[in-house]
Amino acid sequence: MTELQVQQATAHSPNVQQMPFWLEKAIAWGHTDTTHTRNDISLHLKRLRDFLQQLLSEISSVSSTTETLNRLPLLGQLLGQLCWNPHVTAEGASRGLLLQCLLALYSEHPSNAVERKANQWIQKVLCHLATDEEDGAAVGLMKHLGVPTKEYHLKVLKKMVTRIQESIGNSRCSVSSTNKGCSCGSIWAASEACVPLITCPEASPLIGALLQQQMTCIREGLSENFLDALHSAYLRCDLLLDEQAVVSLWYQSLPSLEEAVLNLLESATTAGSTPSKVEEQVPKSLLPKACAQHCSVFLVVNDIFRTVLKQNERNERVKNVFQTFTKCFFMELSRLQPQTSASLKAFFPQSPPSLLIPLFTMPSEMPQESLKNHLIWVSSSLQRLTEEEEDEEDSDSSNIRGNHKVFEAWFLLVQCGYWVQVVVQLLVTSGPEDCGPLLWLLTFYHHPTNRWHHRASQLVQAKAAWDHLYSLFSIEAHLLPADHLQSFISLLAPKPQQPSLAPSLTLSLLVNFATFGQLPQSISAEITQKVVHQSGLQDEATRVLSSLRLRLNDRGSFANDRVHLRIEELHNTIKNKCKPDAPSQTDT
Amino acid sequence: MGCECGQRHMEAVLKNVGCTVELLAVAAHSGVVNEWDEQTVTRAFHWARYCEHIYSRFHGNPVIRGVLEKQLQLTNHRLKEAFPEYNAVSFLDLGRCQDLLLLWLLNNSALPISIMKMLFETKASADSTSSDYEDVRGLCNQIIQCKSACTVLRPLLGVPSVGADAEVQGEMLMERLGSALSQSSDPRRVEDFLSSVLQEFEVAAEHLCPVIAAALLTTDSAVQTASQDFLLDWLQSRRGVLQHVCTALPSKVLADLAERHQKFRDAFCKLLKKWASEMEYRVTEGEWVHAATNSAVSFQKMTEHYLTLFEACPSLRTEVEDELNAQRIADGDFDVRGLSVWGDILLALRK
Repeated sequence: MTELQVQQATAHSPNVQQMPFWLEKAIAWGHTDTTHTRNDISLHLKRLRDFLQQLLSEISSVSSTTETLNRLPLLGQLLGQLCWNPHVTAEGASRGLLLQCLLALYSEHPSNAVERKANQWIQKVLCHLATDEEDGAAVGLMKHLGVPTKEYHLKVLKKMVTRIQESIGNSRCSVSSTNKGCSCGSIWAASEACVPLITCPEASPLIGALLQQQMTCIREGLSENFLDALHSAYLRCDLLLDEQAVVSLWYQSLPSLEEAVLNLLESATTAGSTPSKVEEQVPKSLLPKACAQHCSVFLVVNDIFRTVLKQNERNERVKNVFQTFTKCFFMELSRLQPQTSASLKAFFPQSPPSLLIPLFTMPSEMPQESLKNHLIWVSSSLQRLTEEEEDEEDSDSSNIRGNHKVFEAWFLLVQCGYWVQVVVQLLVTSGPEDCGPLLWLLTFYHHPTNRWHHRASQLVQAKAAWDHLYSLFSIEAHLLPADHLQSFISLLAPKPQQPSLAPSLTLSLLVNFATFGQLPQSISAEITQKVVHQSGLQDEATRVLSSLRLRLNDRGSFANDRVHLRIEELHNTIKNKCKPDAPSQTDT
Repeated sequence: MGCECGQRHMEAVLKNVGCTVELLAVAAHSGVVNEWDEQTVTRAFHWARYCEHIYSRFHGNPVIRGVLEKQLQLTNHRLKEAFPEYNAVSFLDLGRCQDLLLLWLLNNSALPISIMKMLFETKASADSTSSDYEDVRGLCNQIIQCKSACTVLRPLLGVPSVGADAEVQGEMLMERLGSALSQSSDPRRVEDFLSSVLQEFEVAAEHLCPVIAAALLTTDSAVQTASQDFLLDWLQSRRGVLQHVCTALPSKVLADLAERHQKFRDAFCKLLKKWASEMEYRVTEGEWVHAATNSAVSFQKMTEHYLTLFEACPSLRTEVEDELNAQRIADGDFDVRGLSVWGDILLALRK
């Protein structure tokens, strides 16, 4: 590198410009140890870490220590200052970077006096760091008792953590003690002190205890720096906290909660995810548990879901995640408290109150013979609600509240999607006389907005699909009427001109007819295979089958062996015979 | 046969300890260290740990200890000839052999950078394949982390406690004392051990008191009852130390100790009375002052001790007050301030 290049590199390097700032900070921090300096350190720790990272890459990219020191003349002074600051060396990442910087400056084959001197200095600093002891008397005692240093320090650290944890547990802020000065100040101080210790495994019980502290005092709680540090460690997956502490972190730190929800949504809706994987992921995320414990956490999570759903109205994957989530949430909630309509209202303040108990009752909790009437009632309630609101909308085009009410009712239905699955199953066994309300409910689930007044036309199409399937699956002769089948398949084809029916609606009807209908298995499978193959909806059909299977596996469902067997066979048919590339033997 | 076997075993121990001490000398003073690799260093630490083990096994056994000390003397002598700057390794040093190895290694200018990198390795820089040498890799990083974390947390511990450091030291002291008591039937030897350990504090007496208090307050196991009893007897036989402890520690800790141990309670009450009897009234200041001018015990402090003591052991109150009253009557039974220290204490306690 020529001198000019070096100069240019030096001028452009951000490290050179920032160096005096950090050196000044390090000197100030080393000068006094007051609450103010400690606060300033924890405020700057994250930026310091980034700066040390930059320094390390710069040191590693430059060929010799002589050159590095030419470029960064203040480097040695800065590193030296930082090494003696316990708040910096306590923090895992900063300490790591600091040590790596020192080691990277060591020249294996020193070529001049500067490098030899630097080597000596580095070794001396490292030696002091690892072996210097402040408390001479303690060292002497430990020597007499034959206790190794590492063991001693580890014991002291654990003891301190226990003692501070105890003192936090014992202190309670109460109104009567306000004039004495409450303990929340000490909780704030403890949380601030823990900022560098977030990733220290020995400190994690203390961090957990701080997070779970009941904050009754409005004046002081946990320090912002503490919550920020926890959040960024959480993002780096660097946190060693137990379940309850993680729940408390979400309760205290909104960014961490949002991150966790978005992570769950992302991993549960990726291309490879299946309903059974989602069923595992959701409880593992701990979020349903956190929601059951803290209503405010639930409200935030539900708000995120609401926003996501508005943009993904037709995404069955997303809906499936919400349904699974609601199911898990209720399981956790029922472990904590018996549900009353009042307690549910706190969790679902925006939903139509009359629908809460009916929809949150699990189908398995109800006698099988009353399922149909229950759903007809739900359907008519929703129908009335939408008609009222949509009428109002007609008279007043800026009626946002009306829209909002319909959306909330639909959102609730999506979350309680297990009822929609019951609807489809009942449609297989119902006659034409009472399929109307059930079809309405199914159509509303798939087409919540009555944009351009399409619902009437969609209802007609849904009825047509049901009619087709009803006659297809009730024919006794084992002959497939090709024209019937063909016109059913044409229902699934996209029609740009008119409001077409969501394929998932038609498919779920088909799959349920094939599973619960009376036709022999082979014919059911053949019909399904043909429809799925010709419409190219293999993935969607697999998903519908998987969630059906999952629901039937739920405790208290009414499925028998025959049904399970049919689902397995349908699954195999779709998987093996419906590959788009494979030549179909049954092509007509 | 068994004897012969034991002798052969002892010979092996002596040889191993001798070799490890030689290894320490090399680690400290030889340029050969430059050729050491990770495996060499790990093995050196293993041998150092072996010596720690030998120490903890035999430090209470005077016969074996004597043999080992003799061996060390011989080895030290030889090593001093080879390396003039060599510091002799004592039997006590064997207990912390790894510390010594680390310290000497880090001070050797021939130490190669690869070993420094290994010792100071952090989790972030460790690659996944480095499962070997687990205990030595990153050793210094862990030490620095623990020490720094302690420094950061120390200010958070409340004042009335003895402190986490003292607590740990007290616990370790009780543990070692317990094993010394179980190994030796001669109480004099254990007493020597205790005196030699606590001698460390002669220059730092303010550190000794919290350690003794913590040792007497540990609640770990039944073995410690014997150790605590022993320590209490030792304390009573050294009145200077006892007085020092009672002067230096806060009232709350002293009251805790009195609540836990009858022996301490008696000694403490006796001492309080002694202090009171040594007080004289200074008319110029209008105050009771301890006759020995350098004593830190004030009249105020004494009443505070009494009050805290009554809080911890309520049954003590009547007994002490009766005694004080008897003394006050003996002093002439006047109800005027400044005439009888007993009367004035009583007055202060009933306030």
